[in-house]
Amino acid sequence: MFKTFFLSELKYTLKQPMVYIFMFILGLMEFFATVSDNVQVGGAIGNVYRNSPYTLTIHVTIFSIFSLLMAVAFFNNAALRDHNNEFNEILFTTPLSKPGYFFGRFFGALFIATLPLTGVFIGMLLGTYMNSIFGWIDSARFGEFYLETFVNNYLLFILPNMFLAGTVIFAMANKWKSTVISFVGGLVIIVAYIISGSLMSDVDNETIAGLSDIFGINTYSIETKYFTPAEKNTISPGFSGILLWNRLIWTSVGIVILMLSYFSFSFKKKNKKIKKEKASTSHTDKVFDLPQLNPSFSAATHWSQFKSFFYTNFLSIVKSITFKILFLFCIIILVADLSGGFEYFGLQSYPLTYKLIDSIKDNTDIFIIIIVVFFSGELIWRDRDNKINEVIDATAHTSFISMAAKTLSLISIASIINIFFLGFGVVYQLLHGFTRIEIDVYLLDFFYDNLPLFIAFSGITILVQVLSTNKYIGYFIAILILLVWEIVLSILDINSNMLDVGGGPSTFYSDMNRFGPGVTGALWFNLYWVLFSVLGLLIAGALWNRGSKSALISRIKTARREVPKSYRSVIIIATVAWLGVAGYVYYNTQILNTYRTGDEQEQLMAAFEKKYGKYKGAVHPKIIDAKYYIDIFPNERDIYVKADIQLVNASNQVIDSLHFFDGLGWDTTLNIPNASIVYKDTTYLYKIYKLSPPLQPGDTLMMGIDNKYITKGFQNNRGNTMIIKNGTFFNNGEILPSMGYNDGYELSDKNIRKKYGLKPKERTPKLTAELSELHNRNYINNGQSDFINVESIVSTIKEQTAIAPGSLIKTWEDNGRRYYHYKTDTPSLNFYSFMSADFKIAKRKWNGIDIEVYYDEKHPQNVEMMLDAVERSLKYYTENFGPYFHKQCRIIEFPRYASFAQAFPGTMPYSEAIGFVINLEDETENNIVDAVIAHEMAHQWWAHQVIGANMQGSTLMSESFSEYSSLMTIKGITENPMKMRQFLKYDHDRYLRGRSGERDKELPLYKVENQGYIHYGKGSLILYALQDYIGEEKVNLAMKTFLEEYRYKKPPYPTSLDFLRHLEPQVPDSLQYLLNDWFKDITLYDNRLKNAYYKALDNGKYKVTLEIESAKIKSDSIGNETKKPINDWIDIGFFMDDDEKQLYAQQRLKFNKEKSTVTVELDSLPIKAAIDPRHILIDRVYKDNVKSLSLEE
Amino acid sequence: MSTLKINNLSKTYANGVKALDNVSLELENGMFGLLGPNGAGKSSLMRTLATLQDADSGTATLDDIDILNQPAEVRKVLGYLPQEFGVYPRITAEQLLTHLAILKGITNTKERKLLVDYLLNKVNLYDKRNKSVKGFSGGMKQRVGIAQALIGNPKLIIVDEPTAGLDPGERNRFYNLLADVGKEVIVILSTHIVDDVRELCTKMAIMNLGEIVYHGSPESAINDLSGKVFQKIVRREDLEQYAKDYKIISNKMVGGQPLIHVYSDDHPQHGFEEVTPNLEDVFFSKINTSNVLV
Repeated sequence: MFKTFFLSELKYTLKQPMVYIFMFILGLMEFFATVSDNVQVGGAIGNVYRNSPYTLTIHVTIFSIFSLLMAVAFFNNAALRDHNNEFNEILFTTPLSKPGYFFGRFFGALFIATLPLTGVFIGMLLGTYMNSIFGWIDSARFGEFYLETFVNNYLLFILPNMFLAGTVIFAMANKWKSTVISFVGGLVIIVAYIISGSLMSDVDNETIAGLSDIFGINTYSIETKYFTPAEKNTISPGFSGILLWNRLIWTSVGIVILMLSYFSFSFKKKNKKIKKEKASTSHTDKVFDLPQLNPSFSAATHWSQFKSFFYTNFLSIVKSITFKILFLFCIIILVADLSGGFEYFGLQSYPLTYKLIDSIKDNTDIFIIIIVVFFSGELIWRDRDNKINEVIDATAHTSFISMAAKTLSLISIASIINIFFLGFGVVYQLLHGFTRIEIDVYLLDFFYDNLPLFIAFSGITILVQVLSTNKYIGYFIAILILLVWEIVLSILDINSNMLDVGGGPSTFYSDMNRFGPGVTGALWFNLYWVLFSVLGLLIAGALWNRGSKSALISRIKTARREVPKSYRSVIIIATVAWLGVAGYVYYNTQILNTYRTGDEQEQLMAAFEKKYGKYKGAVHPKIIDAKYYIDIFPNERDIYVKADIQLVNASNQVIDSLHFFDGLGWDTTLNIPNASIVYKDTTYLYKIYKLSPPLQPGDTLMMGIDNKYITKGFQNNRGNTMIIKNGTFFNNGEILPSMGYNDGYELSDKNIRKKYGLKPKERTPKLTAELSELHNRNYINNGQSDFINVESIVSTIKEQTAIAPGSLIKTWEDNGRRYYHYKTDTPSLNFYSFMSADFKIAKRKWNGIDIEVYYDEKHPQNVEMMLDAVERSLKYYTENFGPYFHKQCRIIEFPRYASFAQAFPGTMPYSEAIGFVINLEDETENNIVDAVIAHEMAHQWWAHQVIGANMQGSTLMSESFSEYSSLMTIKGITENPMKMRQFLKYDHDRYLRGRSGERDKELPLYKVENQGYIHYGKGSLILYALQDYIGEEKVNLAMKTFLEEYRYKKPPYPTSLDFLRHLEPQVPDSLQYLLNDWFKDITLYDNRLKNAYYKALDNGKYKVTLEIESAKIKSDSIGNETKKPINDWIDIGFFMDDDEKQLYAQQRLKFNKEKSTVTVELDSLPIKAAIDPRHILIDRVYKDNVKSLSLEE
Repeated sequence: MSTLKINNLSKTYANGVKALDNVSLELENGMFGLLGPNGAGKSSLMRTLATLQDADSGTATLDDIDILNQPAEVRKVLGYLPQEFGVYPRITAEQLLTHLAILKGITNTKERKLLVDYLLNKVNLYDKRNKSVKGFSGGMKQRVGIAQALIGNPKLIIVDEPTAGLDPGERNRFYNLLADVGKEVIVILSTHIVDDVRELCTKMAIMNLGEIVYHGSPESAINDLSGKVFQKIVRREDLEQYAKDYKIISNKMVGGQPLIHVYSDDHPQHGFEEVTPNLEDVFFSKINTSNVLV
């Protein structure tokens, strides 16, 4: 009996498409996670193989949470199928055995439910195999497979998790006999799991955390947390340790649930509480007369029919269970996302309207699209599924009316959900006390972005369903269009939004610049897609399968015969309109404004290097003075530039030719005395001028430049954000042609270079001690210039303020435009920006320096604090490093198309996204907004006063120094040293994550090759730890003397070796080892507090014993690690509170054994003990450094 | 007075089955019975007339409407109840009929309301008008189906096997209703129940294997057989022999023994006795032309 039901369950389910669809989806996701760098599921980072046992296990565990929803479908069906088909009465009156039926069904469903996850195995195997043929990614990133990885994953995760979830769902289904309740139950399990997961992560005791995880996911990460890449690549999850115990415990729980459900299960129908029918009092004496009928078939009839169709279709969606579940799920996901607020490095952003719009889009769009796809099939096949099609089809309505009503009900449902969530957003804002609610932005975004998408998808999916021979084929095609089509396009290297369903330029909202430069294009694209959808609908109306089912061809024949002339002409008009719009869009996006696809760009870069690489060594004159006349037209989005650039031959060779690259999109005219153009390449915009007479060493030359950027029509994508209506921001590199051969245009990735037969390229020139030509080039300008004077006259519309480097000499109005004349007060790097926007300006004076914040009127909140931060930085830096040479410090807000801050001489553009919208109302101490300002301010010394040569290690003296300086200003206002630990954790995280994601090689700090995770993350940690070990003033002194030697100096530029030369004398002999460990090697610590005991002594004191393990690890550039004997000074300390805020009795001890026991006597009894309590050393697992004290037995 | 003319209508399905083979009929107002065994082509003919299916050749006209080429026009004057009448879930009887009334051009809200109430009352469902139709019993659903076929002022009502699943009381009510309407319009009633036709129809046709094998009034069909049908109770083991010797129209069990009807121009003697033919004899004699045991 068991076998019969088990097998019949398998047979039934395996005939349904569901299991294959799920398997296919999971397999596809895993396939891309295996072979594409664009799909990240976790696991395979850095040197961990894409197909390692660890990667596979992580993927299986992640997917197993989401496949719970699939499990709901299988178990619920198994429990309720007979009930739903009303077959139960037949079945349950036969002499079948209860255990056979109950367990047969259950285990049948269990087996089926585990199948989709095996799609993950298939996806990975197939991905690895296919990659070995096609070589999409480096085959070195793949390792061996181990059979036990698959077997153990199935037995440890897939089977037990499905079993446990299955028992709960099966029990619920049998109890309540309702699909909705089962699905809700499934959702509750998932959501509860995700929430509990984040709560449990704080648990001190890992054993409890490991055992209590119902799906064993955290258990696995706890077990593998010390795995090295090599271990991750070879060891499969095994039947041992807490993982085994966890699985046994939760499987037992499952068995208990299953048995409880079994004993409460009965074949007999529960006595339903019958709702007492209201006595039909409606037995009125109503007289029924057949009215005189006047059936009419006019335009008004079409309209009533349309309304009635719409109403019934719309209602059928709203009342359907699937809709309710998806809607509910949407709400849960959105609430879960919003409950975390808008976090930014431990701070919260204000709940701005655009933030809510983004969050709503990210979380709910996918569900809305699922709803549209699902119900397109439901609505189209609804009449046929309910066997009422013949009646409906035989009534006198036009098929188009019915199609249009169905489409409109899809669009309406999608829109209503969307608008519901917008309302939700408004409520969220109000609940958070935020009152700048922009209803217009919510609605405009809906009209610009979402509504057209809904229209396009609805029309297209309706057409697909009408054309396909059954619902499931229709779904399949719709999913292909939605998911696979984009992949196909990217494989074919087609970027045109005209082929990407619903595609168009982004209208990403910025408080400063509203919907941005993409709006015009977006509207045209929207029109294009809406017309396309209408056209699809008209065709669907003509080819609608009315009456008995027939093949498409015969439907086309019928349509030819039956479709009336008027309908044909509407189709023709729609086609013409669509083609017209398509033509206009095509003209704008392909002819007027061309773009390069990824592959084209790559080919161009390769060909460029092959063609012009020979000019690499060509000597070029340097810029020594620049004068700009710039006219900005924000509304037309045009820029006119005239510039006088003075060049000098700083080399000892004669220069006879000049090489230039014009900027893409710029119309450039050069005016060079005694020069004639001898070569011009319109593809690469490459030009060569011949000088006669040639430029002798030391000679100068005045070059005139006339450069125009004119915006024409609209583009395929948003287009540039350099010149926009409000928030124009460009730098000197963009407005001048670049001089000489620019190796920045070369391909850098070694695999891509290989494809084009190019040798691997050095990321950064090697660090050398002896002076060479390389030392004459700083890493920003690469030999094109040194420190120069700049003068600019910039004009813009009178509503806006234009900003250029230096002091404002004069401003005036002429011809309705405003002019600004700026001039630098001191020679500066040839690296500066020009900006124009409608600014409010806040000013403060500090020691003769103007501190200014240029901000948008919507963002006044943090301006005072920003002025404070600048002042604090100026104070610390002038005291510790030396004078500031500019007369102003400007912070200038720019739109959130980018989210960075950048330091130019005296000016610091700062994105609206990262400083101006962060809620700092309750912040009294250090925060990231201050830190960013302090960092950019520090660049005024580190980069703008002293800059490294263009070789390894140079960013140490700009980025690491700035990050360190910033930490010091923050440390200055931080009273509790533990607060700094919170701050440093981001740097730890940045470094450790960065190194595990390194694609090429990690380098020691003094040879950093412009690697962010090293020069920001590690650099700041090392310098911070260094000042903790040798003293803040010593580090500052080393930096100061280094600065004094090279400040504003002509070449040669300094290197990191020069800095170490200044540092060494400041480091006591006992700590000299740190210079090697921290700067010249890659060193990690692995400190652990294994046990911490206390004993109350008779004298009222406490004896505390700490068992400590400490190890020092040296890593090579690809992460191979070797343990080194430890002989290091490390802090121990205690906490008086659970939150680790009150540090107590910290002392620095020398550790020279791997295992040591430390005993200290304390006056008070702390709660916790720690090694390295302030987390200043780089330790991959810090959690095990801290432990609660326990009583010694 | 409307006229439905069907001329040489033929339809062969993709699988080779000849559903309609040169069918020609001419109908006027009144109830028209279409008899035939399962698979005779009744439903194909009705679906073709209801604009739900194409024909390969032939014509069909309702007054001056070309049914095959002007489906939209036919639909305006058509009431159709298909063999299988399903309903939407989560919708009440009243809502469903209202929706269909709108589709049939009853755009005046007041008229529509009166009409729906009238029809619901006619099919005895007025009290259940606010209940979900999906939960109705088979008979109740069928009554909804009948109600919808009567919406509007149809000139042509086609009902395909309408009484399947109805209890005798419901069946009577349905026929009364149909007879009421059928005086002024063309009603085509397809069935394989001979009694239905005898009780209701003045004209009838018998279809078999896609062909019209008889077309006329039930009476004249019966009259044609008068004096030519004989019956006898025989032993079961002798059936085969009788089938060889006589033109058997039908056989059925009476008291556990086969009672056979045979067709013969003369009295066959041998214990056969003459019977007054009924419509069933007509039916079987028309479709059982090869005289095999059925």
